[in-house]
Amino acid sequence: MDFLQNTLASFVSLVPVTLAQSLILAFVVLGIMIPFRMLSFPDLTSEGAFPLGGCVCGVLMAAGMSPLPAILVALLAGFVAGCCTAFIHLRFRIHTLLAGILMMTMLYSINLRIMGRSNLSVFGSTTVFDWVPFLQPGFPASKIVMAGLIGLIVFALLLHFFRTEKGTAVRAVGANPDMAEAQGINVWLATIGGVGLAGAFSATGGALMVQSQGFADVNMGLGILINGLAALMIGEAIVGKSSVPRQLAAPFVGAIVYYQLVSFCLAAGMPPPDLKLATGLFVLAMLALPSLKRSRGPAPARETVRE
Amino acid sequence: MLEIQSARKVFYKGQADEKTALNDLNLRLGTGEFGVVIGSNGAGKSSMLNAISGALVLDTGKILINGDDVTAMPVHKRAMRLARVFQDPMKGTAASMTVAENMLLAELRANKRTLRRGLNPARLAAYKERLSLLGLGLENRLNTRVELLSGGQRQSLSLIMAVGGSPELLLLDEHTAALDPRTADIVMQATIRAVEALKLTTLMVTHNMQHAVDFGHRVIMLDAGRVRLEIAGAEKTAITVPDLIGHFSVKTDRMFLAS
Repeated sequence: MDFLQNTLASFVSLVPVTLAQSLILAFVVLGIMIPFRMLSFPDLTSEGAFPLGGCVCGVLMAAGMSPLPAILVALLAGFVAGCCTAFIHLRFRIHTLLAGILMMTMLYSINLRIMGRSNLSVFGSTTVFDWVPFLQPGFPASKIVMAGLIGLIVFALLLHFFRTEKGTAVRAVGANPDMAEAQGINVWLATIGGVGLAGAFSATGGALMVQSQGFADVNMGLGILINGLAALMIGEAIVGKSSVPRQLAAPFVGAIVYYQLVSFCLAAGMPPPDLKLATGLFVLAMLALPSLKRSRGPAPARETVRE
Repeated sequence: MLEIQSARKVFYKGQADEKTALNDLNLRLGTGEFGVVIGSNGAGKSSMLNAISGALVLDTGKILINGDDVTAMPVHKRAMRLARVFQDPMKGTAASMTVAENMLLAELRANKRTLRRGLNPARLAAYKERLSLLGLGLENRLNTRVELLSGGQRQSLSLIMAVGGSPELLLLDEHTAALDPRTADIVMQATIRAVEALKLTTLMVTHNMQHAVDFGHRVIMLDAGRVRLEIAGAEKTAITVPDLIGHFSVKTDRMFLAS
């Protein structure tokens, strides 16, 4: 009883901090979902684009740039990184996963070059979170409001885009690239633009994270991909993925629920080093579930992705 | 009008398994003409269609649609002028998208895509009307994902998508071969109705000799990457299935003699 009470007490006290963190990381989950679900392009760039956004934002803020332009430059850097991954895949016919691994490995060196060292403190610089009125800067509430607001705007814009004529064409590229091409859609443009957009979101998440935590670190991307994937799986299990609004809501819902779950596990005394194993097993279970369920039935529905 | 001028394509050039897919192939199809292409496996039918659609890049030769040279155009640019129905029902539609979204994609084939809402009420009403012509009940399943339709329904949808917007050239690649006889018949009848109503310039590849006899203005028989035989006009009207099969066996005998 005592254990339960302690666990609950420490979990509840962490809820606001975790919520702020999850709303920021929702951008990374979005950056994983868009290529994976909308373009059938499993993209690993986010593991490099997230710290890239952080490093770019950190260096610019340390140089005295105001926080919003710093985020925008980070976003642009992430966009370019995503475009490169897509280009490597399309031009040299390299498997999407390998293209992503190449890109994120190279980005590690690039991130180090950008910062000039492995760790950079921007503590004390003005951040976007300081602009929230009526709330004390530096507290989770201001982060929740700001990150939530940006998230809401991004969600609304994406929802509109994927229902426009251009957005429908981009989704067709993911659904059936050959058919899309035969319907006059430029597959290269849609793929490069879409994966670029995803990189931009991952980098935005990194930039917001740096402003939230007050420092940038080249290793901040370590394991972000598997966390993001786990969050996406949870989100899709909760809100589904049968329509565009649901598919777009999944990253946000998933991020919020997943990070609360992690926080709960930690509050319950789970040793942090075991966290990755647990996350990995969870993602494996979620991906394996369809084939386990239908092992006796008709052909299992596998994930169809581009190679 | 479609013109193919001395098209040549060699696969695995300079290697042991070198294969000449198109061997100085020439073909001319007038505006509004319906050509039926027959030929045994490996005769170059698919290569020819792929070369026309842009999926296959020619070694030499030219392809003209309504007088414009499209030889250097990529697939997605040529799509403004031509539409294609594939043999595989899975290939011509986006499975994870709805019937209405597929119709939208086809409608935008020849147009510029904007940032306006894709599926508006006016479009949905138009799609409903066009699909009702098929008589398959697809008009009531606009929001159904295409993967839930049967092969015949998917192929009918592909056809409606292809003929919508009156393309300058319609390519039919054995589009009834994967269907059961009854469904194949429905799709074929719908094809003929659309082609005649819209006076489409059409090139249909088929292995079905009865279809080659019944439909089209001209039969084109391919062999070893070139046109071996063309039958048009009164001769085409009079031809029977045994006649056509006779042309095949003559060719086969020659192949035996050659080897």
